[in-house]
Amino acid sequence: MADDSLYGSLQVRPSGWDYFELDDILACQEKIPCTFETQVKDLGFLDHGSDSEHIEPATKMELPFWLAKELCARQRKIISVELPKVYREAYRQILEADATAVDLNKLGPYFYSVGGKLLEFGNAENPRIAETLMMTYMKRMRRLMDLSLNKLDGSKESQTLLPKLDHDEHNVFAFSQEGLREFEQWKQGVISKLTSSKTVINQRKRKRTEDN
Amino acid sequence: MFGEKALELVKELKRSGDGSLPPYNEDCVRQVLDEMKALFEQNQKDVSATVAGEGGRIAGVQLRHASLERNKRCLLAYVYNRMEKIRDMRWDFGSVLPDDVKNNLNEHELSWFGRYNRSLAKYMRSVGIDLTQDSKPPKSLYIEVRCLVDYGEFETEDGNVVLLKKNSQHLLHRADCEHLIRQGILEHII
Amino acid sequence: MDPSEVDFLSEKQHVKILPNFKEGRIFLISGDLGPFEPGLTAEVPLWMAVNLKQRKKCRIIPPDWMNIGQLEERKDEEKEREYFTEMPSKSYLELASLLLKSARDDIPHADEVQTLIKDIWEIRMAKLRKSINIMMQEKETHARLDNLTHLEINSIRPFLTSALDRMHILRCNVVENPSTGTDY
Repeated sequence: MADDSLYGSLQVRPSGWDYFELDDILACQEKIPCTFETQVKDLGFLDHGSDSEHIEPATKMELPFWLAKELCARQRKIISVELPKVYREAYRQILEADATAVDLNKLGPYFYSVGGKLLEFGNAENPRIAETLMMTYMKRMRRLMDLSLNKLDGSKESQTLLPKLDHDEHNVFAFSQEGLREFEQWKQGVISKLTSSKTVINQRKRKRTEDN
Repeated sequence: MFGEKALELVKELKRSGDGSLPPYNEDCVRQVLDEMKALFEQNQKDVSATVAGEGGRIAGVQLRHASLERNKRCLLAYVYNRMEKIRDMRWDFGSVLPDDVKNNLNEHELSWFGRYNRSLAKYMRSVGIDLTQDSKPPKSLYIEVRCLVDYGEFETEDGNVVLLKKNSQHLLHRADCEHLIRQGILEHII
Repeated sequence: MDPSEVDFLSEKQHVKILPNFKEGRIFLISGDLGPFEPGLTAEVPLWMAVNLKQRKKCRIIPPDWMNIGQLEERKDEEKEREYFTEMPSKSYLELASLLLKSARDDIPHADEVQTLIKDIWEIRMAKLRKSINIMMQEKETHARLDNLTHLEINSIRPFLTSALDRMHILRCNVVENPSTGTDY
């Protein structure tokens, strides 16, 4: 078994690294079920289910992760959060049973990313969530590797697998496929062919349809 | 919920993906800035009220502050990601952008492109190499190309003039035609 | 890295040629070459050999290992051994591809040679994928693989780096949220 103490000394990328990343911004939009613990004056209009001027304590609302995180951050917790259902025990068991069959794109295209962010709420189920995320990823990686390194994405197996991938998995797949494509091109002797970039090709295509 | 307009900007960029840059969404950016102004002013009022002794306003301030930060992040990401794309355009299109691409940039972005262009040129001059050449390791000195559009006359480095008519084929010096290939005027035939 | 870049680097390798021209010593930054006498073997970098061949100024002598007998032995050895055998050159596939393309007539039994080299490549790549899979399943943070060649490493690089990057973050999650040992 790997030496965890050695591993524990390795750093994750510093947070803030992905401040400008569009995908991280979108992932932070994921809705989290929350309950307000205190009253929030004048912002009652945010609660579509009520007419009151203020948000009253015990109001339940789904808030985007970026907001939920901030409202939990200080000593006085303005809200308390629950785990979204796809990270709870029932779903964790489904993943444990057959990780490769699950449609992670449907469970939320940023499944791993949001899962990691949820850990910041210090929920008692965190160790289990973290374990499940990692085990799921590892099991699915094998299939991903076989497909992305062996066949270009036109193949039938890829076509069935692709729509079920989470966003991170999709990136790994695409990156890997690009490598495979370049290798195939090299074998065929066409890799040294100079080309325009995709941007230029698309721009010319658009221009031609406009001119017609 | 606050931040929805700002998110639209992010989604707009994400949708355009590898393709072209959409026009700078002046409208949406202004709406986000308006929301931020309103949030900020309301917070200022609440903070003054709290200092004056009124209670129960901190939660609202926190919520609005989080929204301000979110809006700021989205706006910055919008501008930053556009900037990266515009930088890449220098390497894709060359130092002169086609008109329809230029029209999608706002004046600050155009000015930035000009400055980037000049910086790059200055650096390349100081190093003595055209960095935009040889994007792939060269296999041969001369390459066979086919012309895709009626381009007109083209003077090669050694002084010869070639007429680039649509569908004509030529054997040209690699260095001469690399940027024309990148712009989609010539096609490299292997 | 682009395979064309790996290919480019492999062109530095030296091969033997039989020139049909006469030329004195040539002084290049990477070293001196020649002199060249018709009919006398000379050693030049691959890029020059291919260029001379294209201009019909030489014949290329295939390296010792590029014959059916030796390749079949290698293929069998590769199949039997669990680990990677040492290849005659760190760029065997690039070298073979280049020679088979530009100097096919100088290689006896070129078709069989090509098939054998391709087979060896496939066997090695399958081993590589299997070993990576084991590494990921065992949650190892590093592995040691001897005798891999440049192009093999390069072909696995995009997948390995991006997949392991994600896994690293997920592992950090686990390390930062250790179970207390009490089951709930």
